[in-house]
Amino acid sequence: MAGQTPILDQFLRSVASFVQNRDGAKLQDFLQIEPPLSDIYQQMIQELRRRYPSPQGDNELLQRCEGLVPRTKGASSWIAFPTFMKLYFAFLRDVNVDNLLETYNRLRGLLNQCVMALGDSQMGVIVLPTVFYLSKVLAKLAMGLDRRPELIAHLLRSEGLADREESIEKVTLVEQSANVVREAFIKCLTDRSGTPGPQGKPEGKRIGIYLMANLCLKLLFQCGKLRNAEQMFASISAQSPPLARFPASQRVTYLYYLGRYLFSNNLFYPAQIALQSAYDQCHRQALSQRHLILTYLIPCNIIMGRFPSQKLLQRNEAQGLAEHFEPLRRLIIRGDYIAFRQHLSLSSSSAQWFSRKGTLLAIRNRCEILVWRSFCRRVFIEGGFHGDLQVNGQRGPPPYLYLQKMAVATQWLRSKHNQLPLNGNSNLNTPQYYGPQTISEPTDPDYADLEDPSRVAAPEADQSILGKYGDYISPDSFFDEGGHSQQNTPGQLVDGDPNVDFEGLELDPYAAIDDFEVDQPSLLMREIESILSSLLTQGLMRGYLTHRNPRFAIPGARLRGALPTGYPNVWQTISAREREDSSVPGWVRPPPTIIGGPAMAAGGRVVNLSGARPVGVQ
Amino acid sequence: MSNSTTQTKAEPSDQPQQQQKPQVLEEDDEFEDFPVEDWPQEEAEQAAGSAANGGNEHLWEESWDDDDAAEDFSKQLKEELKKVEAAH
Repeated sequence: MAGQTPILDQFLRSVASFVQNRDGAKLQDFLQIEPPLSDIYQQMIQELRRRYPSPQGDNELLQRCEGLVPRTKGASSWIAFPTFMKLYFAFLRDVNVDNLLETYNRLRGLLNQCVMALGDSQMGVIVLPTVFYLSKVLAKLAMGLDRRPELIAHLLRSEGLADREESIEKVTLVEQSANVVREAFIKCLTDRSGTPGPQGKPEGKRIGIYLMANLCLKLLFQCGKLRNAEQMFASISAQSPPLARFPASQRVTYLYYLGRYLFSNNLFYPAQIALQSAYDQCHRQALSQRHLILTYLIPCNIIMGRFPSQKLLQRNEAQGLAEHFEPLRRLIIRGDYIAFRQHLSLSSSSAQWFSRKGTLLAIRNRCEILVWRSFCRRVFIEGGFHGDLQVNGQRGPPPYLYLQKMAVATQWLRSKHNQLPLNGNSNLNTPQYYGPQTISEPTDPDYADLEDPSRVAAPEADQSILGKYGDYISPDSFFDEGGHSQQNTPGQLVDGDPNVDFEGLELDPYAAIDDFEVDQPSLLMREIESILSSLLTQGLMRGYLTHRNPRFAIPGARLRGALPTGYPNVWQTISAREREDSSVPGWVRPPPTIIGGPAMAAGGRVVNLSGARPVGVQ
Repeated sequence: MSNSTTQTKAEPSDQPQQQQKPQVLEEDDEFEDFPVEDWPQEEAEQAAGSAANGGNEHLWEESWDDDDAAEDFSKQLKEELKKVEAAH
């Protein structure tokens, strides 16, 4: 009886018929791997262990699997598939889920073989659903282990893998998985059957392009290797059929990841288009997905000068977002740049959420200029010259703002914040000769000693320093000024006593220009000038600066008034500039040859779905 | 992070599975798989009177310069500038 394998026989017959009928969905349905497996699988596993024990039964098992594919002229036409089936049976037979690292490696090997089977130009498409299924299971396992590394830490240690980290770049399980999934993605993308390319349809393996791409992107985001996605987006741009021809779930997921990718590359305008489209196409009841999309769509818009409306923030999916974005909005509108910095400093609790979402640096770096614009605008409103109100008579000077008022406002803001001590010491009465004048930054710990030279210990007095850096500051021999090698007395510092005062001997390269002229602008004024120049260059303010008698002047304000002329609408300015190129890298739109089609007329902002036909694996 | 479980009862009719589990939106950073493969665009749009296209205007505020959120700040700034002017 030991040789009888009725269930396995039945199983193989079914698999053979699925292959013959090219029924990929049913094949996938049969090839279960995730516990708990039903009784029938348990019985089949028993049969495998009895009849084809590991490893001596493997060859015979492979021979049986070779019968699953049609033969042409005596040779199997699709040799990757029997090998995959053998691995599948071996996986069921041998897997030990108590060892999650081993399970992971087996599963990755299994998927790898399945991807090879996918590569066949005729038959490969049959295993596409199986590739997708195995990829998902592998991704789930890898991401689970990534979140709970303690589950396999002891296994990595015992294999000596943990110690290798320092010498070679660590390739995490998640990244390994992404690499296998990317192989599958490439096989889907490069299917040449039917009509390939941007004119083509999602048929054959191309059905799986975005399924595999989305899974790969999920893994790449998880392991922080976004740069690896660049080639994927480039390949999609070059070879994929239009995204609009794929099902909504794939479109939305893809546009979400694409938008996030563009966001993290500081391409906020295309990111906003992709994310807005993801949001617009997302099922209205898919709240968690809509919530995540908004988490990135909102900062995209804020960076370009648009805030979410109350209406948007009150939607179900926006729940919890207002508490993060409303304070930001108030700070940007108010113009208090010190409060803005404090709000988003790494030590503040309000920054934590943005940091976790990966949006902190973009918001901090990109929004501060908006805060300065608001600040300057307020100073202009309260302290600027708004132009001659008399309509008749001589043409008066254009509206302007003395930058001295900006300086006063800056000092005021600093003193206002120093009531609650800001970051360590900052005494406004003693002028600072270096560093930012508009804000007090804590001294970098590396330079803290410069502030307080008494903290620098003489190395010979400090054996720990000598022990650590002795080979550098007190080597056995050294080269003198003449380039001759000299022996050094052990323990003697070759550069001499660090506390010797050389001040009297030092050359001062600035001696000639160091006499402060009477009309020399202060460092603060220089800093304000440079910030306003930046605002002018970016088009966020309009007018010009005068350097002598420093002013910001707003010419041509007669018609529209000083404020709208000098401080134009941020969103309109940025979007007008960016709109010139509304293409989104990585997003394949339908070709513009459709006569009267709205795709081009709408500047590419609207996805025309009227001609889209849903496709899907099932 | 405070009020993440209050919305589970919203929209009682025709829910897909997503709404059944309590929503811990804040902690879940993973973009979940959709329970359905495809849907028509009507199901993506907000039920309450949304125009078919270009209905985004009301979602975003472009003009915020004169928001009164900073009235107090402006007032203080004005006084400070006056004070300095008077001193000169």
